[in-house]
Amino acid sequence: MIKILKRDQPSKAIFFFTPVLAIFLTLVAGGLIFFILGFKPFEALKFFFIIPIADKYGFSELLLKATPLCLIAIGLSFCFKSNNWNIGAEGQLTFGAIVSGGVALLFYEQEGFYILPIVILAGAIGGMLYASIPAILKTYFNTNEILVSLMLVYVSKLILDYLVVGPWSNPEGFNFPETRQFSDSAKLPLLFEGLRIHAGIFLALAAVVISWFVFYKTYLGFQMKVSGFSLKTAKYAGYKGKKMIILVFLISGACAGLAGVGEITGPIGQLHREISPDYGFTAIIVAFLGRLHPVGIIFASLVVAITYLGAETAQIFMQIPKYTGQVFQGMILFFLLASDYLLFFKIKFIGSKK
Amino acid sequence: MNTNLKISNVTKIYPGCVANDNVSLEFNSGKIYALLGENGAGKSTLVKILSGIIIPDEGKIYLNENNLNLNSPSDAKKNDIGMVFQHFNLFETLSVFENLIIDSDEQRESLREKIDLIMKKYNFPIDLDIPVLNLSAGQKQKVEIIRCLIRNPKVLIMDEPTSVLTEQETSELFLSLKKFSEEGILIIYITHKLKEVMQLCDEVAVMRRGKLVSVSEIKNENIESLANKMVGQNLKTIKKKKAKTSSDQLIKITNLNFTSEDPFETNLMDINFSVNRGECLGIAGISGNGQSELFQVLSGEIISEKKSIEFNNNYIGDLNPQERREYLMAFSPEDRLEQAAIPQMKIFENVALNNFKSSNFFNNGLINENKIKEHSKKIISDFNVNTDNIELKSQFLSGGNLQKLIIGRELITSPDLLICFNPTWGLDVGAINYIHETLIKINEQNKSIILISTDTDELLKLSDKISVIHKGKLSKIMNAEVVTSEKLGILMGGAN
Repeated sequence: MIKILKRDQPSKAIFFFTPVLAIFLTLVAGGLIFFILGFKPFEALKFFFIIPIADKYGFSELLLKATPLCLIAIGLSFCFKSNNWNIGAEGQLTFGAIVSGGVALLFYEQEGFYILPIVILAGAIGGMLYASIPAILKTYFNTNEILVSLMLVYVSKLILDYLVVGPWSNPEGFNFPETRQFSDSAKLPLLFEGLRIHAGIFLALAAVVISWFVFYKTYLGFQMKVSGFSLKTAKYAGYKGKKMIILVFLISGACAGLAGVGEITGPIGQLHREISPDYGFTAIIVAFLGRLHPVGIIFASLVVAITYLGAETAQIFMQIPKYTGQVFQGMILFFLLASDYLLFFKIKFIGSKK
Repeated sequence: MNTNLKISNVTKIYPGCVANDNVSLEFNSGKIYALLGENGAGKSTLVKILSGIIIPDEGKIYLNENNLNLNSPSDAKKNDIGMVFQHFNLFETLSVFENLIIDSDEQRESLREKIDLIMKKYNFPIDLDIPVLNLSAGQKQKVEIIRCLIRNPKVLIMDEPTSVLTEQETSELFLSLKKFSEEGILIIYITHKLKEVMQLCDEVAVMRRGKLVSVSEIKNENIESLANKMVGQNLKTIKKKKAKTSSDQLIKITNLNFTSEDPFETNLMDINFSVNRGECLGIAGISGNGQSELFQVLSGEIISEKKSIEFNNNYIGDLNPQERREYLMAFSPEDRLEQAAIPQMKIFENVALNNFKSSNFFNNGLINENKIKEHSKKIISDFNVNTDNIELKSQFLSGGNLQKLIIGRELITSPDLLICFNPTWGLDVGAINYIHETLIKINEQNKSIILISTDTDELLKLSDKISVIHKGKLSKIMNAEVVTSEKLGILMGGAN
């Protein structure tokens, strides 16, 4: 007989074990899906998870995809740790990209070391501005930040659409929905000849270190932590709860905006309609898979980035639709949430006695 | 047909707290029974056991001699036990009728006829087709009652039903309940309001700290006797030595008002009092009469008019708790686990919640962990907190040790005034004595205390002056030496 018992306290070992368990279950379920579709499960999984990163180019592509995921997830971890459900990082990314792209276009055909920092800063500010909308509506008008931040995603995508088709479209671009290529001074430098991996990865790593420092070492982080656990306690301690809420949204928006900058000034080099394959949404999975901890998020971003690459490889070599990648991302979140049940409950097998 | 409901030796233990300790009770239809007790006395646990929401550790429930197995709310419904909760369980956006048919498997048409009949019979004029959100609290409660009546219940349990009702709605409710009782429905009425018990009920069972204290007929009781039973008899009054009288005023509250938008909160009306140095002002009252709001106003969680609070010759009514701490005030809230401390955080992190400039816990925006840890160790040893590991998450401390940590955290800075709210609630005797001794000690050091408590014994033991709060109003301030628990009981019940 199986008996389910409530744990007296959540287990710390299980806390770090469930993400691993979730990944394992995702692989099992993925293999099963491949089998049902008529592929050899192990071979398919190999195409999905091993082949794409087997060489230097593949590995650099992994880092390229992991960079925005990591950056956004770090920002989201501030929101999620303090119970603010910002799920509109995709919109903040897009808006950050729009603002920084606009600035980069201003400097079209100009050169100078100062251009790139301004472009990057513009992206962070754009993301913050966009994140401040759900934050202010939540704190002062009691709106639900889940709905507002989500709906704003579509608004920002439509703004981008309008800009690249209309006023910002490349005059020499034969009416393609895209802007001019940015000048080299507005582009993030590539790290290696022949690979697409760019300096944006340093932005992500800096975000990891800074977020760890802020959250665990500063008074500000302490106040955010307390406010996240209990607004009642925050009030009792005299912290300004509303300001904390706006602040975590701003941090999160800045990170998403920077991720947008990384994409358009890195591998893309211009604005067009599809600057992000839903990095902003996928980063939600990364944040939770990484247990909202900076180091955990690094690992989680690498794991989830593989699903992007794997989907492409599998499409090319096995004619599996590339949307399988999203299926895998969904399964990871699903299994993670399901196995979190083990945090609070333990399963006991009781030998049947006759 | 007569209904007989018997609770036999029911025990329910939660970690660190016995919610029901071997409770046995018997009810017969035709009478209205009151189950009286303060918050935390165990009455809610008992009725949740009757309605199948909580499963007792020990004990049995019999309805007309049949042993009931109540494992879920639907078991209770099947056995004709209906319950109306204090907070309504209605879908606000659905219509009244939709709410009523949700958990019924009867045909819509026949149910509608049945509901019409019930409404006519008991004079409940409610439009069945408007959404519930357009109803008043009294009407919503009627919808809940109708939902029970549809099932022809033998037992109807009402949990603190008047807390959201106006006076007029209350008397309407009482008329209906009396009618139900005449028709043979067994009514169990849960409350902490003494006046209502006297008005409505035939028999009263009093609970205190999980135990059944007494069962008696209303005609043999009065408000004072019930109040005494409810808050605990004044067994022994070890009063502290009278502190040397000081006329040095420390805090003065003038014309303080608070109006809440939340219907579950109590408004404070025209609060005036002052406390001198070295004095302990006790504020008595049955819980839910504005104590929590008063504590928040005094601590700065609720900001009031600047001049309404004068502390040490400064007007501080508009300052937040952290700013008030700078003026040497300290606060110990009632809720240890959700407000005064964060169980998931470590002991030394909880110590850092009491932060002000001279504490140096945070320098230039950085956490000064060494300083906090050093300070925490001092609290642990000075205040007998039974652990030596300041890295321990505070959820692993017992209630008594956690309270010692909180009181220690507040007192180690030698504040001029400590405001505490139910500081010994739910603690064991040893911890209670320790806290009491500590509070007496601060008075001896010429520091002041405002003690808001629902424990009359505690108040009589520790206070120099006592006032009673009732429906958000303070009684006049009395000298503790001339106050008896009987007198407090009467004032707590709302009499003048």
